[in-house]
Amino acid sequence: MDAIRADELIGLFQSWRDMFAAERDFLIALDGKVGDSDLGITMSKSFAAAYDTVAAEGAAAGLTKLLRSAGAIMAKTAPSTMGTLTATGFLRGAKALEGKDAIGTAEAAAFWRAYATGIAERGKAKLGDKTILDVLDPVAGVLEAQAASGAALAPALKAAADEAEAALERTKAMKAQHGKAAVFQEQTVGLQDAGATVGVFLVKAMSGYVAG
Amino acid sequence: MKKFLNDPANFVDEMLEGIYRAHPQVTYVNDDKRCLVVAKPKAGKVGIATGGGSGHLPLFLGYVGDNMLDGCAVGGVFQSPSADQMHEVTKYIDQGAGVLYIYGNYTGDIINFDMAAELADIDGITVKQVVGNDDIASSVVGEEHKRRGVAGIFFVYKAAGAAAANGLSLDEVTRLADKARANVRTIGVALSSCVVPEIGHATFSVGEDEMEIGMGIHGEPGISRKKLAPADAVVDEMMERVFAELPAGAGDEFAVLVNGLGGTPKEELYILFRRVSQLFEAKGSKVKYVWIGEFATAMEMAGASISVLKLDAELDPLIAVSVNTPFFAHYKA
Repeated sequence: MDAIRADELIGLFQSWRDMFAAERDFLIALDGKVGDSDLGITMSKSFAAAYDTVAAEGAAAGLTKLLRSAGAIMAKTAPSTMGTLTATGFLRGAKALEGKDAIGTAEAAAFWRAYATGIAERGKAKLGDKTILDVLDPVAGVLEAQAASGAALAPALKAAADEAEAALERTKAMKAQHGKAAVFQEQTVGLQDAGATVGVFLVKAMSGYVAG
Repeated sequence: MKKFLNDPANFVDEMLEGIYRAHPQVTYVNDDKRCLVVAKPKAGKVGIATGGGSGHLPLFLGYVGDNMLDGCAVGGVFQSPSADQMHEVTKYIDQGAGVLYIYGNYTGDIINFDMAAELADIDGITVKQVVGNDDIASSVVGEEHKRRGVAGIFFVYKAAGAAAANGLSLDEVTRLADKARANVRTIGVALSSCVVPEIGHATFSVGEDEMEIGMGIHGEPGISRKKLAPADAVVDEMMERVFAELPAGAGDEFAVLVNGLGGTPKEELYILFRRVSQLFEAKGSKVKYVWIGEFATAMEMAGASISVLKLDAELDPLIAVSVNTPFFAHYKA
């Protein structure tokens, strides 16, 4: 697939939904180490609702409208902090792609950059705070470099997914500064961050979907 | 724990059912009791919404009514309501003139109100925000953005509500609300803990002969824990911090709110106000408006807070405006 159009976006949400359903218990266990264990529930519920919404609206609604609707329903479905942040990412991503009808490499870079910036603003997080931002910021960076060198979408997303994995590994050395995990600051060293793990899942599923 | 409860899990919703039965001037939207709004919004007026956790009555929902607020998203005890609930309230109270959010400076509330504003923007509703940060004990001068919002938000509501009732634009209502916010300071003192119904035991403990100056309305740690002193000495220590930030000189005029935190009798609040008034008098300043009672509580916490608003030619007439809400009425002198 060389670009994600409205049709394929609906398929991508289906992939995200299936992946978060499959990883639900893993995320619950991971979050339970230092958080309140609701991350797996939040993600599986919000992506199920997002897929239902975009599928009901259909491709005719257009790419950015679908992204916006997905963000809005996520905000409604999962009012936990992570649900709100994920929703914000989709709303900001939709805004960044206004007027586009397909996601190629440059658009993917713009989408994830807006996604990461939106989360940073809303969650008042900065790099190194051991959050999803520590995965999505380098992902956006890799995609920007891939776009600049004219790479096609599939290899660009593959490079982004590899970077996401590496970035997640780097969060293990960081100390949590946000949410319930912040109470356990020192004990979080050595653990991979649950929110950052969600970031890796999002990018990997997108890469896998585009690769077919 | 000794509380009037049916099931602790229904604490908020059953409280709300009582509110709606007692006060027909408020109702709810989206079939969600936690989306509280005025029954009859005033056409063309800037809408004012607030929101926050339960456990603080009359805060936050108690000030939804004539010449004050138009809607309130209600959270669980000490928990933020959701962005979606705030968004639903926003849609209902917007009368085409935009909506102002006024709420306290707490992480969960900020994330959700920001999100609600973004959702409202998609609907074409303009939203502005003023975030209350009056608690001087919660961070130092120069770091005011880290301060929590407590009872002083009452004055921000009152100024903004009056400005909106006067037909001012969203920008003007926001400017005046922000001016009130910048000119109010609060300091609290706690004598005992509160109990969250679903937890069932005291959040923290304060010794029988101790007080904690600066404790937050959810039990956040204050500035100092020490032996309980005579009332005048407690007020002197609290007001010294207020005067350091809001200088009171000859001829200056103020509004004062002496607020009980839930477990302190009104008699004691008047004993505190007696001293507050003496201190203003000694400085040659005038306390032009006084409210004494429960305005922002922390369940059954014993203790009190003192909020002081410095008046000027713009704020004074706004504070003077009559209001009538389920928990607070004020008729212009």
